[in-house]
Amino acid sequence: MRIIIIGSGIAGVSFAEKCRSYSTDDEITLITGENSGYYSRPLLSRGFSKDDIEQTIILKTFDKLRANNINVISGVKITAINRTDKTVTSSSQDDSPLHYDKLILATGSAAFIPPLFRPYNELFFCLNSLTDLKALRKFRSEITRQNRPPAWAIIGGGLIGCEVASDLAVSGDPVTLFHAMDRLMERQLVTEDSALLLEVLQKSGVKVLLNQNVKGFSKQENKVCVDTNVTIEFDALIVSCGFKPRTELAELANLEVGRGIKVNQSMQTSDESIYALGDVAEFPNGKLYAFILPIRNQAHWLAGFIAGQESANWTPPVFTTKAKVHGFEAAHPYNV
Amino acid sequence: MSDYKKYVCEVCGHIYDEADGDEDTGIAPGTRWEDVPDDWRCPECGVEKSEYILLD
Repeated sequence: MRIIIIGSGIAGVSFAEKCRSYSTDDEITLITGENSGYYSRPLLSRGFSKDDIEQTIILKTFDKLRANNINVISGVKITAINRTDKTVTSSSQDDSPLHYDKLILATGSAAFIPPLFRPYNELFFCLNSLTDLKALRKFRSEITRQNRPPAWAIIGGGLIGCEVASDLAVSGDPVTLFHAMDRLMERQLVTEDSALLLEVLQKSGVKVLLNQNVKGFSKQENKVCVDTNVTIEFDALIVSCGFKPRTELAELANLEVGRGIKVNQSMQTSDESIYALGDVAEFPNGKLYAFILPIRNQAHWLAGFIAGQESANWTPPVFTTKAKVHGFEAAHPYNV
Repeated sequence: MSDYKKYVCEVCGHIYDEADGDEDTGIAPGTRWEDVPDDWRCPECGVEKSEYILLD
């Protein structure tokens, strides 16, 4: 059987490895736009307080996966899925279309940019990938070389926004966090824990602004500005307003798509040869499971299912998460 | 020995079981948590040992 996986995050890599452990005969090909290897996405939020992060964030090199008989094609973008002849086409011109018997979509998610901010995309950073982190670190070291720390604005006080604000603040930078709601991480935390989080962030030097209606951004010489009712200047902005599943390929191929790629309880899309898992998969209950533990669980289950070792439907495991905010411990369980 | 303990990574939920160790990262079965090197990291999400808590 020829199995093609698109994506080299935790979903794609965990699936590929488990798949290999079930079978030595299947041809397993993993195609990814990444070049750096398989890295830890949670660690992106610790990307400033650790000097060696660009190396230590790599959990496995692609060569290590290749040594396990997984054919990794890196630095390549898949441009189309051709469902009638079961092939995928890539951006690399010398590659002829690749045939699959089973196609696994593990394309993950991009940063969600609210429509209002899209016209200004030259003016802000996101922190969603190792490439983003490297760009941010490069920018930061250029400013730091002028013997001052950069002043940051973080737009969005959800999980990632709070983590990044915290990590920049403990690294010595002045940080202002803009949040639209009246409390931080309101989706995951109870009110009491939001208040505690606010206190912890303020103590570490973060200036937290709640109930903010950010209308847009503007540029003034070397500074970028956040426009609310007033205009405040910064060296750089990071927009962290949630994630957007990468459904474009599936849409082009006319697969059923909602917020994510729609799958049944066996992670099968509306095409029986194509599966989706991880951040990009939307289950019949409307849920997307964008956390490490359920994604690993999905990957292992799906590999077993395709190997004929699992027959029942996938059931989500019990899981929780924890914001990587320096010095913050929630008193109550997170709502995931 | 039945008093082996388990530790859970609070970030991703990975469980380190002293009885099993972690073969992939070279930790032998039976290795006590305190004997796991300080620079050992969660094999699933990469965070440091300090992110683990005792599972009871």
